[in-house]
Amino acid sequence: MNKRVHARYFSRFLNLLPHRLSCHDSTRATIGFFSVSGIDVLDSLDLLSEESKKNIIDWIYSLQVIPKEGGLKCGGFQGATTLNLLDPPENYSTDQYKWGHLAMTYTCIAVLVILGDDLSRVDRKAIIEGVASVQRDDGSFSASVEGNEFDMRFVYCASCICFMLNDWGNVDKKLMSQYILKSIRYDGGVSQHLENESHGGTTFCAIAALQLSDQMHLLNSKQMEKLKRWLLFRQDGGFQGRPNKPIDTCYSFWIGAALKIIDAFELSNFKENREYILSCQDTIVGGFSKWSGTSSDPFHTYFGLCGLSFLREPGLLEVQPCLNISMRAFERLKNLHKIWQLHSQMEVQLNIE
Amino acid sequence: MSDSSDEDFNESYVMYRHRREWSDVHPIKQNDGPNPIVAIAYSERFLDVYDYFRAILATQEKSERALELTTDALRLNAANYTVWQYRREILHALKKNLYDELQYIAEVIEDNPKNYQVWHHRRVIVEWLNDASKELDLTEKILDLDAKNYHAWQHRQWAIETFNLFDNELAFIDKLIAADVRNNSAWNQRFFVLKHLGLTPETVQREIHYAMNRIRLIKNNESSWNFLKGLLEYGDFSISQFPDVETFTEELYNSGNRSPYLLAFLVDMYTEKTLHIYETNSYDDPEVYARKVVELCEMLANHYDTIRYKYWKYVIQKFNADKELAKVGPNEQNEEKDEEEHLVTREPEKVNGEAQ
Repeated sequence: MNKRVHARYFSRFLNLLPHRLSCHDSTRATIGFFSVSGIDVLDSLDLLSEESKKNIIDWIYSLQVIPKEGGLKCGGFQGATTLNLLDPPENYSTDQYKWGHLAMTYTCIAVLVILGDDLSRVDRKAIIEGVASVQRDDGSFSASVEGNEFDMRFVYCASCICFMLNDWGNVDKKLMSQYILKSIRYDGGVSQHLENESHGGTTFCAIAALQLSDQMHLLNSKQMEKLKRWLLFRQDGGFQGRPNKPIDTCYSFWIGAALKIIDAFELSNFKENREYILSCQDTIVGGFSKWSGTSSDPFHTYFGLCGLSFLREPGLLEVQPCLNISMRAFERLKNLHKIWQLHSQMEVQLNIE
Repeated sequence: MSDSSDEDFNESYVMYRHRREWSDVHPIKQNDGPNPIVAIAYSERFLDVYDYFRAILATQEKSERALELTTDALRLNAANYTVWQYRREILHALKKNLYDELQYIAEVIEDNPKNYQVWHHRRVIVEWLNDASKELDLTEKILDLDAKNYHAWQHRQWAIETFNLFDNELAFIDKLIAADVRNNSAWNQRFFVLKHLGLTPETVQREIHYAMNRIRLIKNNESSWNFLKGLLEYGDFSISQFPDVETFTEELYNSGNRSPYLLAFLVDMYTEKTLHIYETNSYDDPEVYARKVVELCEMLANHYDTIRYKYWKYVIQKFNADKELAKVGPNEQNEEKDEEEHLVTREPEKVNGEAQ
């Protein structure tokens, strides 16, 4: 595998996309995440100059929403700058439509951590309040305070955010776990929402959320064994997302990561998985596609590389399966947690004195 | 990743900045900062439409022309949830006929059947109207294009459950399963409907035969096997309570079928029998079944499901460990459970997700 060609593929996406990709205008942050984290997993961050790292960090911060005192609890990050106005006339404002979006908040914080930012400009308190405010009575989470759907994907994003900021605030973990358990299907997988069909992506979301919230023990051994089999039965060379669906590169991550989390990845077939992922590689332009012979995209490139990393492909950094970032970035995050803890201890001490 | 279709606009399209009726509006550019990342080389039209969208959003204009502008903005990017949100606010403010909107969003869904935002919009409009009479037709149309479209199934399930539209659903599912017995989405929907209609012993019996008949048609089909197994495990049922199924699977095996799903089913069935005999100290010989479990796992590992070689070896290991625990008996087992909880499988608790 030629690492450089894939790293350059990602850096092209960091620069400029053709207008035919305008339908991704609202989720530019996630493409930024795939590219930055992808370059990191390729152990090629040196490809980005200090200046371009700083530019990425600054752009990410321009997506942050700082809620007004006493107003809507909409803290978090937006996916793009669509609502950021350039030289607006007086009294022109789109602020009331700027809401943090859980998927964007998760990926933005991840990018900051990967690039070595200390998160000092992140409004942690407002974000955690925002996460708690979009939790619903059934335990699931909406993507934002208004205008968006709710399902297992945002249960996962909420868990990532709380874990990364090391604060669950008023998030009801118990209620969240009940939603997850209710979404386990008769075949052992987990659906996107309650009685929908089991799905590889949402099974990952559910399992990672249980792990991140320290609630994996809620799965009994029967559920665990059924889950294990459901996940392993997804392998047919590469992995598929649902029974009787074609295999697709990204499931080498979704299914692979879920198996890693429950400590069963070693039971999968490494050789066939690896062969499939590599068959989707574009060795000239760079990138990976979902099916052999189709064109690459950043999403499948990122997940293909993470899938290979689980297989201990030489040259790739190890990937932390729950947060979906490199282990190096994960360690950096743990260090930040330590620093925050020290600070808050010092504050308590000062208050006592 | 799908592409935007800027080309959908007809030739007489005029930029907003050239439209006289928009001359009173001050378009506002996007502030992408001095060094944007993942920048998009927007088309002229995209920039024009979104400059005007920012303006009406910032001034809270809720008018007919603003509504039309959102249509253009969404045609350029149907995933922009702020535009959808604002469109709903305009619809509300102008007290628009929501049945027209239902028609419009159906067309958008047909163009973007795998976009979350368009389905969400549909759902909100249906909720506002409190009328889901068109949802089964719409989702059927979308499922005609792709019978496994997750969004369509999710929407359909929501409509059925919220508006109690269960009546003809089994017939619809039956049609889909007849067309493609491997359609896992349809099997899942069947389970969903049955659970809501009530899984009485009679229903379970009927459905077991439904599944077995379809397994007879195509034996190597994970979807029908999972459905069968799910039914048997539902509630407090165990496989051995259904002698029909036992006979059916053993006959399949004896006729020479070696589908991994059949063999896996037999592994589970004989595992259950072995452990049950040990736990209850009954007079049968558990080792007859225990040998079958190991033999079947070896067959799977070495011949019929070699891709999962390591898994089937693991199942043997786990089975042997569980067997030892079962031999000890329930009382002592509880004491050991604390130490080796991960090895205990035969807990009486229900599967949470299905028991409630």
